[in-house]
Amino acid sequence: MNKTVTITINGEIFEESVPIRMLLTDFIRNIAGLTGTHISCTLEGVCGACTVQINGEAVKSCLTLAVQADGQEITTVEGLATDGELHPLQKSFNEHHALQCGFCTSGILMNTAEFLEKNPNPSESEIRHALIGNLCRCTGYAHIVAAVKGAAQ
Amino acid sequence: MTSTESNSDWIGRPFKRKEDHRLMTGKGQYFADYPIPAGTAHLVFKRSDRAHATIKSIDTSAAEAMTGVIGVFTGEDIRNEIQPLPQPVVVPALPAVCPTHWPLAVDKVKFHGEAVVAILARDPYIAEDAAETIEIDYDDLPYVGSAEQALEPGATKVHDDWDDNVIFAMAFTGGETEEEQAKNDAEVDALISGADVRVRETFKVHRCGVSPMETRGAMVSWDDGDGMNALITTQRPHIDRLAIADILEIPAQLVRVIAPRDQGGGFGVKAPFYREPLLVCYLAKKLRRTVRWQESREEHLMVVSQERDQTHDLEVGATSDGKIVGLRDRGIADCGDGCEGVYWGYLMPFLGAALLPNAYDLPMCDIKIRVAVTNKSALSPARSFGAYPTRFAVERAIDMVARRLGKDPADVRRTNLIPELPYVSATGMNYDSGDFLMTWDNLIDTIDLASFRRDQEAARKEGRYIGVGFSTGAELSGVASEVLVPMENQPGYGAAIVRLDPRGKVMVFEGDAPQGQSHETAMAQIAADEFGIHPDDVLVTTGDTGTTPFGSGTIGARAASYTFSALMVACQTLKLKIGKFMVHDLKLDAEPADFDFTNGDIIFKRDSNIRKTFREMVERIIMAPLDLPPGETAGLETTAFFEAEKPMICFSAHAAFAEVDVTTGQFKIYRYVTSEDVGTVINPQIVEGQVQGGVIQGLSNCLFEEFVYDENGQQLTSTYENYKLATAADVPDVEVNHAGTPCPYTPRGNKGLGEGIPGPVPGAVTNAVCDALAPFGIEISQLPLRPSTLWRMLQDSQATAAE
Repeated sequence: MNKTVTITINGEIFEESVPIRMLLTDFIRNIAGLTGTHISCTLEGVCGACTVQINGEAVKSCLTLAVQADGQEITTVEGLATDGELHPLQKSFNEHHALQCGFCTSGILMNTAEFLEKNPNPSESEIRHALIGNLCRCTGYAHIVAAVKGAAQ
Repeated sequence: MTSTESNSDWIGRPFKRKEDHRLMTGKGQYFADYPIPAGTAHLVFKRSDRAHATIKSIDTSAAEAMTGVIGVFTGEDIRNEIQPLPQPVVVPALPAVCPTHWPLAVDKVKFHGEAVVAILARDPYIAEDAAETIEIDYDDLPYVGSAEQALEPGATKVHDDWDDNVIFAMAFTGGETEEEQAKNDAEVDALISGADVRVRETFKVHRCGVSPMETRGAMVSWDDGDGMNALITTQRPHIDRLAIADILEIPAQLVRVIAPRDQGGGFGVKAPFYREPLLVCYLAKKLRRTVRWQESREEHLMVVSQERDQTHDLEVGATSDGKIVGLRDRGIADCGDGCEGVYWGYLMPFLGAALLPNAYDLPMCDIKIRVAVTNKSALSPARSFGAYPTRFAVERAIDMVARRLGKDPADVRRTNLIPELPYVSATGMNYDSGDFLMTWDNLIDTIDLASFRRDQEAARKEGRYIGVGFSTGAELSGVASEVLVPMENQPGYGAAIVRLDPRGKVMVFEGDAPQGQSHETAMAQIAADEFGIHPDDVLVTTGDTGTTPFGSGTIGARAASYTFSALMVACQTLKLKIGKFMVHDLKLDAEPADFDFTNGDIIFKRDSNIRKTFREMVERIIMAPLDLPPGETAGLETTAFFEAEKPMICFSAHAAFAEVDVTTGQFKIYRYVTSEDVGTVINPQIVEGQVQGGVIQGLSNCLFEEFVYDENGQQLTSTYENYKLATAADVPDVEVNHAGTPCPYTPRGNKGLGEGIPGPVPGAVTNAVCDALAPFGIEISQLPLRPSTLWRMLQDSQATAAE
């Protein structure tokens, strides 16, 4: 069964007829063609690589159906920089070597971008706890924590 | 500032990574991001839900009748079409028996998760639906669930055509013949029994590994004229290419393997030649269309990324000073079914045993292991390849010796460290260079051990239990041909192509396939440093067998030792060629090496006023090949190969600090410090990233991760919900200290580090907890280390004390 949805992604409006079982992740990757949103734990909601923002709130897009996003504004990692000017978090991640393979990075950026909006001056412990919904296998997290702290300053 | 002072010395600088921009803006090209051609057949596997069972029948009729299904294949369909493995291209030259197998189960299934049926459909949703309709009738066989069980006389056989369940057994010490070994073993026996102090314990490390964030995948197309184009998640595209060509009997020039430009981690898991990509290649050729398989996390955790799983019965004898005089180890490993090209599940325990003596001067050892097949998935490589369990065993044993002698474990460790290199271990491993004692002393100074011991004493008086634990790692840093040819039937050398662009830019081609190790940045720094230009003027291409030179892959920390050295040699070769043109064009009485490449200029060493720009010389040699030096040709491109004469190692020393709540068994690793010797550092930030990540992987293995099989061989941990990885809130920051000794065997003193970093972690962590609990006499010999285990040990200890 299909349903027509209207979803705004990074300011661009998509009106599409989609199967009602389609996940938002698949809509973003396969319909909008934005492959920066990643799938790692394969739809369990544990790894956080698929994190996007819906109306400014960080959400795991693998636990969301496309039809649930009907009428919503979504920001993916492709929408984080504006006109080629990197977001302070992106600059700080580069500065602090906070990514190695980069597979988890999109989700971490989208999660921590919202986190810093709500908590502009977090402690290390608050940052570490804000990251529990994002798994990273390469970095051991220390550089990610430093990068988030760096972006907050 | 003189005119020859350089702003283009890039080696040693924390240059910001070139890879980051695309990865942070969603433009990475991981496997799943490559466009899928119209008409692609999507492959889904129906996997075994039994651990060990005869396949009585498979009913695929409902699936085949579904609209959108392109084909359904079982083991029977392919057994006469594909040569079975093993085939020479993926078989080590070691005394092992490699099990016969095909990409799909034939006759029986041997572990929960083995691929039984392949379903191809127009879209993956249809393929999944079709897989649900397939009925497989099994007759269960007894489950062989551990190495101990598999090695019992008369045990059920995992592979019916074998005599028993032993895939590999070897003595690593004493010599080639049984007589020599027996003589050695008797000497070791005598040394241990005559020693002032003896420690014997069985050390067990559970099944866990380094599951990367990106799973595996293969997308393969075929054309009868052009041949095969295979996009495969792999650390070693050139090895996969040869294996595919040989096994599917395709002329090698018609096989091109491409590793995705970006890969979401590997850590060893993407190194083997696996069954699934081989089947995808076969089906793409058979169907003459693109076939694509993307592994789910559930498949991944059932089938790959399981390592460790070794048990070591270890005994050491030491003098009253703590010097170990003899060591005996009898190791066994649970290999799973062993059906895995190149590694066969047993190569990890093999190397773990070869590396067992670690950084310690232990000339008298008797080390033997046996590796058994069982009804589990084959062990697949994980960072600290095979050595995680043997490191744990030896590091714990050293602390137990120290405790027995009433000495500080730090002092006993220093007493046993190899004082001078080069050194050949009792197992024949070559340790090329470095300064273990200096690196060790650097660690002890950093943590101020004396002051910690005072704090510890004071804390105990307040009922707080804190401890420090140490460990070391002498890890492979470039696996030389001397090791890699017998071990994996592959060469050790590194290779690089350097092509200069007429506009003064540099293109570098590397045959290995990185998965996060920052090769693009490090190689750009090297080329920029050599040519005196900026790293942004260097473009690095990796992992495409159609354009890159042969490489054995991103394994064993070999890139910074061998591949980067090959790049240096290639750059230096081209610099000499440019130097010849300088001598000729400027009519100098000079040698081709008499020029500095600095800040975009090529400067005569004896007169810095005599110079040309790098760009004009490069352009002149490539685009204006007039008036050439005698015997010279136009063009600036070369391929270089590099290998040091002997295998190399890097060294690290670790210290972990733990605090234990003795009423609950809860503990916290609150500080972790390393000191490592990695030769000349190319980029300190990248080295620190490797150490941070490696330590936390080791910690995650030690404290959280565990693959669990129930009594019937059902794998219970196939999601990240129940196979727990460390999160940011679970782990400490790691304090990383460099103490570099330039390596004398590479062009710039460089060597690789990263692969072995998790290995020393379980020793440091458990030693810290045991040190904290020394008043209770607690000695840990099994992993994982959980608060519940500690609580039970504390209860037992207090009960014993009360008696």
